[in-house]
Amino acid sequence: MSLDTRGERLEGRPGPPRETLGIRASTVTRRRLVGVTLVLAPAIWAFARALGSGTDVVNANGIPVLGRLLAAAGDPAHSVAFLEVVARAAGVTVVYAVLGTAAALVIGALGAVILSDVAWRDEPAPAVRAGRLVLRALLVAARSIHEVIWALLFLSVLGLDPLVAVLAIAVPFGAQTAKVYADILDAAPRQALSAMRARGAHSVPALAYGLLPPTAPLLLSYAFYRFECSLRSAVVLGVVGIGGLGAEIVVSLSSRNWDEVWTLIGAVVLLSAVVDLWSSSVRTDLAVASCSDWSAGSVAATSRTRSVRARWSAGTAVAALVVAWFASGVSWSGLVAPRTRMLTARLIDEMVPPALPSGGWPELGGAVLDTLSMAVLAMVLAVGLSVLLGPAATRVRPVRFLADPPLRWWTPRTAVRPVARVLLLLLRSVPPTVWAAIALLVLFPGILPGAVALGLYTGGILGRLVAEAWENIDLRPRDALRAAGVPAVAASLAAVLPPSSHHLVTYTLYRFEICVRDTAVVGVVGAAGLGSLFAENLDLFRFPVVTTLLLASLAVTVASEVAGRWVRKALTA
Amino acid sequence: MTSGDPVLRLCGVEQRFGLRTALSGIDLTVHPGERVALLGASGAGKSTLLSVLGGSLPPTGGTVEILGMPLAGLRAAGLRAAQRRIGTVGQRLDLVEQVRVLHNVNVGRLGRWNTARALTALALSRTDPTVEAALEAVGLGWAVHERTERLSGGERQRVAIARLLVQEPDLVLADEPVSSLDPSRAAEVLDLLRTATPDGTLVVSLHQPDLARRHCTRVVGLRGGQVVLDLPVAEVDDRHLADLYTAA
Ligand SMILES: Nc1ncnc2c1ncn2[C@@H]1O[C@H](COP(=O)(O)OP(=O)(O)OP(=O)(O)O)[C@@H](O)[C@H]1O
Ligand SMILES: [Mg+2]
Repeated sequence: MSLDTRGERLEGRPGPPRETLGIRASTVTRRRLVGVTLVLAPAIWAFARALGSGTDVVNANGIPVLGRLLAAAGDPAHSVAFLEVVARAAGVTVVYAVLGTAAALVIGALGAVILSDVAWRDEPAPAVRAGRLVLRALLVAARSIHEVIWALLFLSVLGLDPLVAVLAIAVPFGAQTAKVYADILDAAPRQALSAMRARGAHSVPALAYGLLPPTAPLLLSYAFYRFECSLRSAVVLGVVGIGGLGAEIVVSLSSRNWDEVWTLIGAVVLLSAVVDLWSSSVRTDLAVASCSDWSAGSVAATSRTRSVRARWSAGTAVAALVVAWFASGVSWSGLVAPRTRMLTARLIDEMVPPALPSGGWPELGGAVLDTLSMAVLAMVLAVGLSVLLGPAATRVRPVRFLADPPLRWWTPRTAVRPVARVLLLLLRSVPPTVWAAIALLVLFPGILPGAVALGLYTGGILGRLVAEAWENIDLRPRDALRAAGVPAVAASLAAVLPPSSHHLVTYTLYRFEICVRDTAVVGVVGAAGLGSLFAENLDLFRFPVVTTLLLASLAVTVASEVAGRWVRKALTA
Repeated sequence: MTSGDPVLRLCGVEQRFGLRTALSGIDLTVHPGERVALLGASGAGKSTLLSVLGGSLPPTGGTVEILGMPLAGLRAAGLRAAQRRIGTVGQRLDLVEQVRVLHNVNVGRLGRWNTARALTALALSRTDPTVEAALEAVGLGWAVHERTERLSGGERQRVAIARLLVQEPDLVLADEPVSSLDPSRAAEVLDLLRTATPDGTLVVSLHQPDLARRHCTRVVGLRGGQVVLDLPVAEVDDRHLADLYTAA
């Protein structure tokens, strides 16, 4: 797999001396070796860790159960009463997602204005800069803790309240949004803004006139993407018992009503599909219209349809927010109620000082290693699925020559593409908790069921990401090779493989960071790792241990992000 | 010809960018009602001098006094208050591409508007007589609701002028405001710049000496970052100009 793009770049330059080329070639070889080691060594280690404990892995008793589950797919539950339950649960999930996204966007917008450099007219004072540093650290901590963990913490303070779901989505996603929005604001061109300031404009109007218009499309596009993620999270959060489709799935799974499980999964997939489609149509629209080019007027043709669709979407979003607000019965008063304050104070009081779990350092270290090997194995599975399904999910873009036979309007590929896309959609819209519950039917609790669940889920996301990237690969090199008489397959391999593997590697590293964080979810439902240790200790009200585990997950998440960045740099530099 | 206190007073102003000296030893006094043309070859320092005059580029040496206030002594709020009274038209027009022309014109009034007023104007997109009159004056009455990015180069330049008109400044600093306009438009725009202030005080950099002769009262010539010519327009002849544009 070629991880290096330097070879391509060198070709464009006029005659580099041979010696340099020789040195470059050896660096390339070394880098590939490093790359392969970096990929293979963790994978082997993770497999050894997952399988090596000597105990049974496969639960043979579960196989017939799995068979019954699969058999029930042919006859999902469809009684009117149950469909009503499903519809109501879907409504609850959407309401959580809408309110969670809205709150996350508010947090994100405020945080971004504070964190971004461009929003400040002058160099901020030292005290302000120190404050920003603290805020940045808090936001890193907030987003490194998974929504499910947040939900468990909020549950212990607020009790069973819809506010728990909204806050569990809003806090980590708000922190993430603040970071992304700050980057977007800082990347925007600022001449117009500085000119306004030089003309004596007040701070807020200057930002509204000079910074908002050029960044609005990107900010909006990310907001839609966040909504997509919130919807998935809202389903996952069902696992902690706060209602919605996720909670119904948990109930049906544990009472082994497989036909109901299928109906609910169908509803989840349908909902995700609609939101995915909506979001990606709005996003590509906006992206085409303005994000590709901020500098000058280059949009004429698309802007009309764009504004119509964007306006409809914005209108729908606002309406949905209002409806969700009234439908949810969420009241913020719960946040400031004396009881909440008392319980929060007590929780914080009990959480410090942190303490080790009963097994001491070995147990904590073991959980960290379990988490990491689970994430690595999940990524192995996800990459496998992406390599398998990704190419099938990409659009075919044939070159045609006079000598070629005329194009058939139907090829096997035209049928394969929708199938592959639906499979990917299914993989990513079934929440990882459900995948874990299914995996736990046939696998004994441990690293493996968690890795399988996360791998299936991540495979659905990774496959879609790389398929989208692959569809946009520049095919001119391939066409040039074809024109020079190279056979079709060879030309495709030579011209398409390097950039596609580059995309795959980039997205894999990026998803790995997220995957480490996601291990918490499957941990909560009984796989191994920090997540399961967390759920266990929270159940036993061992709050000092909970603090330690939160700090450990923070450290692991940050470390994996830093490592990811480092590997990316090492591979592309 | 000159009356009252000077609107601008520069004493030994020097501007360095790293090792490069863009301006050195600039002494310049501009009185109300004067229309100063800045002439000079490309790279002579015209744009740099205009940025210093507008208070957006603090000079590395010398003193600048704007509208009677020494620049160095101004705090941020005071500087902003002074800048509100200076209308600038830059070489880069600094328009916001993604909004309607109307809003780019309103940007001229942001210094005077409070936050609520500015935000409602942006949200409601309603025109008012001031905006319409300004756009009418630059011949863009039809473009109020047009998206700025769709306008031609010359039209965009005129939007920048309309923005200046609604600002109602006491002094106008313009950097090549007519570089992409046809000759008759250019004459029109230079007249407009004059009417933007009550006294008609104007400092404008130009690449066409003819326009300077016709529209200004005084010519300041820059070469290599120094003032090499400072004469009433009637006394400037072709020899002076030839000197200005030959390599230093
Ligand atoms: N921000 C900066 N950093 C470094 N050098 C600069 C900067 N701004 C201007 N200069 C340099 O200062 C000198 C004067 O530039 P200036 O833009 O003032 O020239 P000008 O007379 O406006 O030219 P033109 O007619 O081409 O607009 C040039 O040599 C330029 O490269
Ligand atoms: Mg210039």
